[in-house]
Amino acid sequence: MAKKILRMALTLIISLVLVFFIVKAMPGDPVQTLTQQYMTTDKLPYEQAYERAKVALNYDPEVPVMEQFLTYINQLLHGDMGQSMSYKDSVVNIVLGALPWTLLVCSISLLLSFAVGNIVGLFIAWKRSRLWDGIMSGYQAVFGSIPDYIVAYLLVVIFSISLGLFPARGAYSSETVPGWNLDFILDVMYHAALPVLCYFLTTVASWVMGMKAICVGLLGEDYMNYARARGLSRKRILFTYLGRNAMLPQITSLAITFGLLFGGSPVIENLFVYPGVGFYLNSAISRRDYPLMQGMFLMIIIMVLISGLVADALNKWLNPRLREKR
Amino acid sequence: MSRVGLVIVSIFILVAIFGPALVQEPESDFLVRLKAPSSEHWLGTDYAGRDIFSMFIMGTRTVLMVALYAGVFAVIVACAVGITSGLLGGKADAVLMMITDIVLTMPQFPVIMVLSMVINVSNNLLFGFVLGIWSWAALAKAIRTQVLTLKDKDFIEASRIMGISNINIITKDILPNIVSFVAINFISIMRGAILSSVNLMVLGLVPINGTHWGMMLQMAIGQTSLLYGGIQPIVNFATPIMGILLFQLGCYLFAMGLDEAMNPRLRR
Amino acid sequence: MEQNIKENTIIEVKDLTIDFKVENGILRACDHTSFDIRRNETVAIIGESGSGKSTLCSGILNMVNVPGKVTSGTVTYFSEYQHAKADILKMSPQEETQFRWKEISTVFQAAQNALNPVLKIKEHFYETILAHQHNAKAEEMDEKIKKVLGYVRLDPAVMEYYPHHLSGGMKQRVLIALSLVLDPKVIILDEPTTALDVVTQYYILQLLSNIQKGFKITMVFLTHDIAVVSNIADRIAVMYGGEIVEYGRTEDVLGNPKHPYTKGLVDAIPTLHDDVTKRKAIHGTPPDLTQKFEYCKFKDRCPVYQEGKCEADYERTRTMYKTGDDRYSRCYTWAEQDTPNMNGGK
Repeated sequence: MAKKILRMALTLIISLVLVFFIVKAMPGDPVQTLTQQYMTTDKLPYEQAYERAKVALNYDPEVPVMEQFLTYINQLLHGDMGQSMSYKDSVVNIVLGALPWTLLVCSISLLLSFAVGNIVGLFIAWKRSRLWDGIMSGYQAVFGSIPDYIVAYLLVVIFSISLGLFPARGAYSSETVPGWNLDFILDVMYHAALPVLCYFLTTVASWVMGMKAICVGLLGEDYMNYARARGLSRKRILFTYLGRNAMLPQITSLAITFGLLFGGSPVIENLFVYPGVGFYLNSAISRRDYPLMQGMFLMIIIMVLISGLVADALNKWLNPRLREKR
Repeated sequence: MSRVGLVIVSIFILVAIFGPALVQEPESDFLVRLKAPSSEHWLGTDYAGRDIFSMFIMGTRTVLMVALYAGVFAVIVACAVGITSGLLGGKADAVLMMITDIVLTMPQFPVIMVLSMVINVSNNLLFGFVLGIWSWAALAKAIRTQVLTLKDKDFIEASRIMGISNINIITKDILPNIVSFVAINFISIMRGAILSSVNLMVLGLVPINGTHWGMMLQMAIGQTSLLYGGIQPIVNFATPIMGILLFQLGCYLFAMGLDEAMNPRLRR
Repeated sequence: MEQNIKENTIIEVKDLTIDFKVENGILRACDHTSFDIRRNETVAIIGESGSGKSTLCSGILNMVNVPGKVTSGTVTYFSEYQHAKADILKMSPQEETQFRWKEISTVFQAAQNALNPVLKIKEHFYETILAHQHNAKAEEMDEKIKKVLGYVRLDPAVMEYYPHHLSGGMKQRVLIALSLVLDPKVIILDEPTTALDVVTQYYILQLLSNIQKGFKITMVFLTHDIAVVSNIADRIAVMYGGEIVEYGRTEDVLGNPKHPYTKGLVDAIPTLHDDVTKRKAIHGTPPDLTQKFEYCKFKDRCPVYQEGKCEADYERTRTMYKTGDDRYSRCYTWAEQDTPNMNGGK
């Protein structure tokens, strides 16, 4: 456990170093670039624009690198991630605004594919269904072979443009008033439908095949035979013996997969113009908006680390073997 | 099935080697924009009047080269890290595995995105480097485990007692034992690299240069899109996808066959 | 006498054949086996690993797993009441769940992994009882569980444990207790002591012997270790190559073997009184059961054949020969001699 925490801390520090020094490694001086930008867009004199650029980038070229890094960390700890260069807002605000959307779409789609995948996987293993095994292997081979972006694009073309069933972009329509009212919630769900479907289609097969593999392994365990010999009902064996034992590893991967989905969100969010973390990361990179890039990247890393922690905790909590060994 | 995979992969490799010499360099000709397939243009033309078929053939080489570079790069790093870690043990092992774990923890695609911002991807080699730099960790761990199991085996023990150097142990005893295992992982890293490369291109994060199926896709989506209606935009869009799908499936089937051949537990 | 034996039969196995589909053909792990198990006695089935005794046992329970398949034969269970018969291999799933454990329970070979790791010990008992008595009351169940745990001298506190808390010997005792919880008529024990150290082994054998005497249970004991069972078995069936080669009362079979294989096994038992150097194990390896046999299955290892006193005719080994009062052997050469052999006998 201590090793795990050390590793997490190191990962975080390395990510910080990475995103911080990337700005330094950039071709050209970003402060100068931003200064020029402020001079033209906001009609500021050079001095003033330069000062503002330094603040926005959290970065002063005249100070030694180490000191810059410490200042950067210090500001981060005080919840200051600097100013976005392309959006007129603080990075913290944008990150906090983007986070719920990614959380929403990722968790709905993850729970959906987790539930469906495990049920289907359990079914295939229990019934030893060669037909469905073949179908799902084929499905997995195909969906594992095409980039997510293509799936997302085809979904937009089919369900949004051709059939007009779902909106293709955004998280909610401009007519609704954001807040805890039914109209808004329904609208949000309506807009989330296609991204969720996309995540679902691209991830469900791996849950099915994973569950199937685990169950096939478990069916060979001695306690399965022993349960049958004791005259336990098929239902009891299916759920308490096969299901419960198979769920242990699956629930652990649930949390880990959440981190992975988070990391994979740029592609899908970008196509659906869905204002989540991945969308802003992508837009920050293509607009060379360094502070925003740093913020979004850190957010993704933090979410992955949290998922890892949750996975560990879940595993400990569910597995009687690990429960006492703290 | 693995034979089918081998045939598909071989065809793509042949096309990548000899194809570009056999087709003409695609050139823009706005007079023949979005023409349907004909004897002159086997797969029609794109929005700028370029021949889709020759773009596809040229793209095959680019895609395979980029994936190959990524795979080779990742495998070299993975072997170096995994073998060193497994053989040396102790502090070196602890540090290397810590680094590996960190690479594993940080999600690959966002890292590649950020790297593509820093590194100006101007040629295939650099592209392969960017794609491969974050995909060696899982393989390195697996190789380390293999090395550790091999290390306990008698013949390595014997080599050590006979005073054979580490380098010799690596080349004579360890590498031959993990080669098929590495080959399977090499293929899956290549598959991942192709997916990432296409995703990067459609996101527009890699500057437009040369020919790549991802580029063709991005242009098909960005410039014509399926919404134009008519057959040609669909052909335009479907050609690179079919390329990706077929090559990936070929790799998948081939790797699966390899896996079954070397893994006795999977044999029926 | 014969009639009496028939009436005493509790399980009758007739012509049971179990085939396994394997890579290079069909492996016949149980080859047209017939024998009977009698009420309230302890019978030991002895054979080296791969002789088919575990397969036979799974056949009796109708628990042959893929790729295995019962290709011929019947297993009949005779209930005490009105001599009702039941064909175990032809039960419906409902009958089967009711029948299992209530009439025949087992203690499996791989006891270390026979308990569900996510369930507490007591939950294993509860679910077993509830599967057969749907309206069992919690207090009654607890009472019963404590009682059977007492038989195997386990503290009732183990009820709250998870399987991984228990040592190998304790798990084995839990399984024995579990096999007793529904007061079954028959218990099949497949190598119940193999994985244990010698002291625990002895202790568990004592327990089993006491339980059998105390509760009038029929016990079927599967083992490769003839020394283990010689003290507790009433009768012995020796298995070789998927067939029973000799069957009879323990003292008869061990004292005066009527099959060269049994004799080999007996000669290999160390005793306190003799010279270890004279112990000779049976040379050679068990036959490959995927082949089509043309000679007696024991031919390659048989001293009688090697001395030229037998031609190992396969067809003549297809039946068992009566070699004495209630005992049978598959070796026609020795059965024909029917004289006290070189061992001297009694």
